[in-house]
Amino acid sequence: MKVTFPYWGNYTIAFEALAEKLGLEVVTPEKTNSKTIQAGSKIAPEMYCFPLKANLGNYLEAIERGADTILMVTALGGSCRLRYYADIQEKILLENGGKVDFITFDQSPRDIYLKVKEVSRASFRKILKAFYFGYKKLRIIENLEKKAQFLRPREKNKGETDRVLIRIFGELRKNGDMRDLKKFEKEIRQKISKIEIEEKNIPRVGMVGEIYTVSDPAINFEIEKKLGENGMEVHREMDLTYHLKKRIFPWKDWQIQRGIKPYLKSTVGGHGRDAIYEMLNYVKEGFDGVIHLLPMACMPEVTVRPILEKIHQESGIPFLSLSLDEQVAEAGIDTRLEAFVDVVRNHHKNKKL
Amino acid sequence: MIIGIPRALIYWKRPYLWEIFFKELGFEVLLSPKTNKEIVEMGVRISDPEACFSNKVYFGHLIWLDGKCDFIFVPRLKTNKEKLEYCPKFFGIPDLAKILVKTKILTENFDERKEKFEKTLQRLGKKLKKNKKEVKRAFEIASLKEKELKREKGKDFFEKINPSTPLRVEKKKIVLISHPYNLYDEYVNLRIKEKLEKLGAQPIFIEEIPISVDQRPNQRLSASTIKFHWEFGKEIMEKIETILNYKIEGAIEISSFACGCDAVLKEFIEREFKQNKIPFMYLIIDEQTGEAGFQTRLEAFVDTI
Repeated sequence: MKVTFPYWGNYTIAFEALAEKLGLEVVTPEKTNSKTIQAGSKIAPEMYCFPLKANLGNYLEAIERGADTILMVTALGGSCRLRYYADIQEKILLENGGKVDFITFDQSPRDIYLKVKEVSRASFRKILKAFYFGYKKLRIIENLEKKAQFLRPREKNKGETDRVLIRIFGELRKNGDMRDLKKFEKEIRQKISKIEIEEKNIPRVGMVGEIYTVSDPAINFEIEKKLGENGMEVHREMDLTYHLKKRIFPWKDWQIQRGIKPYLKSTVGGHGRDAIYEMLNYVKEGFDGVIHLLPMACMPEVTVRPILEKIHQESGIPFLSLSLDEQVAEAGIDTRLEAFVDVVRNHHKNKKL
Repeated sequence: MIIGIPRALIYWKRPYLWEIFFKELGFEVLLSPKTNKEIVEMGVRISDPEACFSNKVYFGHLIWLDGKCDFIFVPRLKTNKEKLEYCPKFFGIPDLAKILVKTKILTENFDERKEKFEKTLQRLGKKLKKNKKEVKRAFEIASLKEKELKREKGKDFFEKINPSTPLRVEKKKIVLISHPYNLYDEYVNLRIKEKLEKLGAQPIFIEEIPISVDQRPNQRLSASTIKFHWEFGKEIMEKIETILNYKIEGAIEISSFACGCDAVLKEFIEREFKQNKIPFMYLIIDEQTGEAGFQTRLEAFVDTI
């Protein structure tokens, strides 16, 4: 049995580590590129949301390299289309001649444990260890991403942060032991602190939207990096740990609902409410811009977009909403980003006066 | 006091209920007119470009009602009696309506996972300063009327499927699958019923099909292994299984552009019909759908079967 899973930004490293620690044979998905997306959208239903198409592309590639089992999560309890991803993907792959097994995880600890146990036949201790190891890597990745958001606009040598980051991610992927990982963490801190920075007043931009599109640089054309290179400090609340925490502790949801009551009084599925909550927070903290990313026709995000636009009109904070799908070209995104950067800079300058 | 009800989307889920309910409570009810070009254009102009076509039409109706009444009734439908969810886009509609129009929005959460329908109605009545008895009576009258209409629909269906008076020419029976707000809104679906009748076919709305208790087994290949958490998903799949027991010649699914739920649903509906070797066509409607192109596709489809 050779397992594979969809590519998801830098988190792929953590998933790979988790699966390997469980003793599974892994075919790691290749980085999503335009070819993958094209292959995926060729066979995917036309009206389905974008992540499904990208995922299908990843699967096709992995199947070519010998994968025969696909691991996929569903959002049980959520109201968005992610719930049917595995069913639809299985059907499409079957229709297109790829015979693969699907193992679908509900997002509940019990279900995940039972399924993992069945697949890997590992002991409880081993499973626990594997999950801890994967989580540890995930935390390192997320912290690095956060650090990079801070460093990119301040670095003295242009592009140094990303060069260091790529090297670290490469080494992190090879790192296969808990003890080494702890040593490696120290190394990372040293490497990061070597990046020279200069102190200056920098406009801050908040990033909100659908979790897959905001956290996968391969999907969103490295918007975070581009904004950083243009001298913007990007803040992003949405990452995998945030989502996992919300699944385990429901009170975050209650807090969000209290915060957005004047605008929306109900859940709309997915992370619809979170986008509003985060945007309100960014406005309160005096940010200079908010950028909203969503896959084309994503149900929750499209529902909340008029509300985000209303907040934008009320507060005057620059706002840009970008829908991504297989037909979006990088040049188009770049143009809109450039215009947005100009608006943000102006906003920042005028605020200081 | 005048209460406005937009004649779109949620209205078609239970067509006469709200109208009669508010009338029995002693309010004047203003129903927006049938969808026309003007309304669609208004809706398209003000709503998000990626919102689904049905939503755009709904917002058009809202704008039409704006300023013409004291309240606009926009319920927040969340779950139904079987604890299945409605489309997630319905969840946010009252809040979006508040942004769009200046007239006050009358709304209530209909979430039967948490609270019974009747109880929610009582709360709604309280907002309108009506006592429990009045609300109860009004609801009973409204639901009686609703039941009567449903029975008639059922009768209609059997008439269509097994005509009591044999016709000279056997009409081809075609099932139209969609949400009620696409099927009954004639402007939105470009009068597809009329068009099919002119072409000599007998259209049957999926809505009319009763969910029968006695399912004759071994007549069809069972395909649906999926469990939908959407009320319409479950309903449509069940009705399709019922209709497959009768002799039908073709099936057409109509879906509004950018409808997220239909993207899921279509895959399973298509599979069901394909396995039973019944011709299936998928039509997408939006504000730019041309009547001529629609007609051509329908003609071609009727010819093939």
